Amino acid sequence: MGELRDRNYWSPYFAGACAGLVLVLSVLISGNYFGASTSFVRSVGLIEQIFSAERVAQIDYFVKTTPKIDWQWMFVAGVLLGSFVAAKTSGTYKTQAVPDMWRDKFGSNVVFRGTIAFLGGTVAMFGARLADG
Amino acid sequence: MSQLVYGIVTGILFGFFLQRGQVLRYDKQIGALRLLDMTIVKFMLSAILVGTVGIYLLHDLGLAKLSVKSTILGATIGGGLLFGIGWGLLGYCPGTAIGAIGEGRWDGVWGVLGMLAGGALYAEAYPLMQQTLLSWGNLGKITLPGVLHVNHWVVIPVFIIASVGLFIFCEKKNL
Repeated sequence: MGELRDRNYWSPYFAGACAGLVLVLSVLISGNYFGASTSFVRSVGLIEQIFSAERVAQIDYFVKTTPKIDWQWMFVAGVLLGSFVAAKTSGTYKTQAVPDMWRDKFGSNVVFRGTIAFLGGTVAMFGARLADG
Repeated sequence: MSQLVYGIVTGILFGFFLQRGQVLRYDKQIGALRLLDMTIVKFMLSAILVGTVGIYLLHDLGLAKLSVKSTILGATIGGGLLFGIGWGLLGYCPGTAIGAIGEGRWDGVWGVLGMLAGGALYAEAYPLMQQTLLSWGNLGKITLPGVLHVNHWVVIPVFIIASVGLFIFCEKKNL
């Protein structure tokens, strides 16, 4: 098991340093710092526009954070793709609905895990937007 | 248009390194919050160290602008506490929830749906937040070198030494 992990994963120091280098290059080449949570709010605005564009236009937060697909939105989409490629090419892709540590503590009920994950996501995003993270 | 291409290419590279560093895992994220496994701390601090040195070098050469956000005590502390509770429940942050789906851990989907709900709630609550937490203790765009009145190259080596000290501690304790 230990040997397998060494072959399939990189040291977190090395992988982290590579990620830091990508940030520096991004700032140099395109002038963009990394972030993710703003894109969730822009997506919410895009979804709400389908139902009522007039209402979205009247919400202050969507006036400030325009619902649109920008650099960061594409960056977040890229993270999904990059993770998929890295997992597939290293043999570490695994379809899993309940994480191991969760299962050991709370069992393998998918609905329970999903409910808590949903609530956690709701609270985390509210906090992230409040702190402008 | 070219900004969108830069965005997706940068995201692919970043997502690749997140996955290889194992930081997209629930077990690693909760492991860090439970002080059992410091993998994500090692990854984040390594990225921050390289980023800090690289971006301040670019800044000094006139090749980059710093992106400093306002420190608003009410919003930062309130938001940080909420974020921590949500992160502890979900086990992913916004970027890593997306990345986790990429490597097949699809409990991230519930997290992403929750985050969209959280974003919608925040948009509704924003006027109230502006009257309360967002107006409490606004210190402006402060930085550590600015507050200490020293050059950033005084702060950076101290930060590097402290981080390496933490890395050595983690390795000794097998964290």
